[in-house]
Amino acid sequence: MAEKNNSIAKLVITLTIIGAFGALFLAGVYEWTIPHILEHEARAREQAIMEVLPDLDYYEEVTHNDKIFYEGYDENDNLVGVAVSLKGGGYAGEIEIMIGTDPQEGKILNIYVLNHQETPGLGARITEEQFREDFKDAPFSELEIVQRTPEEPYEIEAIAGATMSVEAVKNIVSDVGDIVTEHYGGGN
Amino acid sequence: MKNYLDIFKNGLWNENPIFKLIIGLCPTLAVTNTVVNGFAMGMATGFVLISSEIVISLIKKWIPNDVRIPSFILIIVTFVTFTDYFLGAFFPDIADALALFIPLIVVNCLILGRQEAFASQNPTRKAIFDAVGMTVGFTWVLVALSAIRELFGFGTLAGVEIFGAGYTDMIIMILPGGAFLTLGVLVGFLNFLDRKVGSDNG
Amino acid sequence: MDSLQYLLLLFISTVLINNFVLIQFLGICPFLGVSRYVETAFSMGLAATFVMTMTAFATYFINTFILEALNLEFLQYMSFIIVIASLVQFVEMFIKKVSPVLYKALGIYLPLITTNCAIMGMALLIPQNDYNFIESIVFGFGAGVGFTLAIVLIAGLRQEIQFGDVPQDLKGMPITLILAGLMALAFMGFAGLAVV
Repeated sequence: MAEKNNSIAKLVITLTIIGAFGALFLAGVYEWTIPHILEHEARAREQAIMEVLPDLDYYEEVTHNDKIFYEGYDENDNLVGVAVSLKGGGYAGEIEIMIGTDPQEGKILNIYVLNHQETPGLGARITEEQFREDFKDAPFSELEIVQRTPEEPYEIEAIAGATMSVEAVKNIVSDVGDIVTEHYGGGN
Repeated sequence: MKNYLDIFKNGLWNENPIFKLIIGLCPTLAVTNTVVNGFAMGMATGFVLISSEIVISLIKKWIPNDVRIPSFILIIVTFVTFTDYFLGAFFPDIADALALFIPLIVVNCLILGRQEAFASQNPTRKAIFDAVGMTVGFTWVLVALSAIRELFGFGTLAGVEIFGAGYTDMIIMILPGGAFLTLGVLVGFLNFLDRKVGSDNG
Repeated sequence: MDSLQYLLLLFISTVLINNFVLIQFLGICPFLGVSRYVETAFSMGLAATFVMTMTAFATYFINTFILEALNLEFLQYMSFIIVIASLVQFVEMFIKKVSPVLYKALGIYLPLITTNCAIMGMALLIPQNDYNFIESIVFGFGAGVGFTLAIVLIAGLRQEIQFGDVPQDLKGMPITLILAGLMALAFMGFAGLAVV
């Protein structure tokens, strides 16, 4: 009996030692790599903000009710727009989009897809310039997907074979109006 | 020396993980839509395989037989987490493209299978040759598969335009269905080669 | 009511639209390895579904209340694999006791569930998609049902094709992969079902 306990103890000790060594090693790896990972994220975010706010000189991070907004200013310290990053479910995973808005005019300036896992060649075309173009100057209201060249500002042209990805982007972007208006007022 | 060379060559063809042992197929199908991704996956898997075979062959005599497998898994998962953070920090584009399939190297049967079948029974030097052979064997099939899919799916090879701008992308090659079909045909073709070469020798 | 509808959509989407095996390439090893007969495939699917639902339950708590609360995300993979391995051990003992016949049929495949990437993949997708507790359970169960569906369907096809005239070099794995490819194309049709 004593022998059996002994051997079970030995098994547990072996696993604990290996696990502890692994955990310790990984704690070191984490400390070493996390600054780099955060830096990449910050750089990607900065690039996205520059994409979605035209004439941007610098931006400030503002928090309202735990929601982070990026207020963009031009050289003369005039507010050029407010960017916010929103997430939602896509076809294959989460889609994260940086959306630049003009709260005074109540319209969207531009969008930039930060992260997505959509199918390459189909859903992934939501990152293309031609698709993003449709969101420029779109109003703060429910957007609409059409199967032809858009004629109204609120119309978005569908992408063949990527119905769900386009729908997902539309749903995510459609929320931006309420979120921005809530904190910046605006509209006419 | 010949012995070591045989161990190395084993992984390239005779016991090729993908088309002979039929293991490690999840990443094989999932990330082979471009050559760069396929190659990166091969390298990431290879790194984990080589490091864990080295460690396990070094410490095997201290591991009680009953907790052999859990110990192997703990060692493997440590290296996988390292790879994930390392790629995230220094190769963010690759980390984004491979996404979920980096952590899933943990459950790649190829890695655990080699520890059980080889590293736990052989000296470190042999284990290194085995791991490198398996890595090369795994990577070349991955690259071959992704080359076919990228060439027809996007008209490019490792990002370089091959078929020119007028080429209509065969999207099916990029889709999940295309992955299964291409791998099926490729494995069939390799079986055919194997049979031909085998019968010539015999 | 709205949330109930959402959960139903999440379930359908996990089973059909984002089928773990045919669309997301998770769990290919057992999908090819244990799909020779419909009955064993079904048992394998049941065992995997059970483990997946339990795993969803366990990993949700570990991730939310231990890893995220204590900032130990770098131990995520390690703790998930430990949870899965322990659960599989438990299921194995349970089946051995309750149904020796089933235990014999599943035999060597039960330990293989540990290295079934469908289970690990599901555990990892839960924090990534920010699912809450209920969503996690529905997602885990749906993933298991999707896996069972795929593996039973391919087993049915393989039983039929045994009598077919398959070229020598395509016998076994290659023809199964080609069948899976056709199934994957068919499953893409489900994409039109719902928008979550």
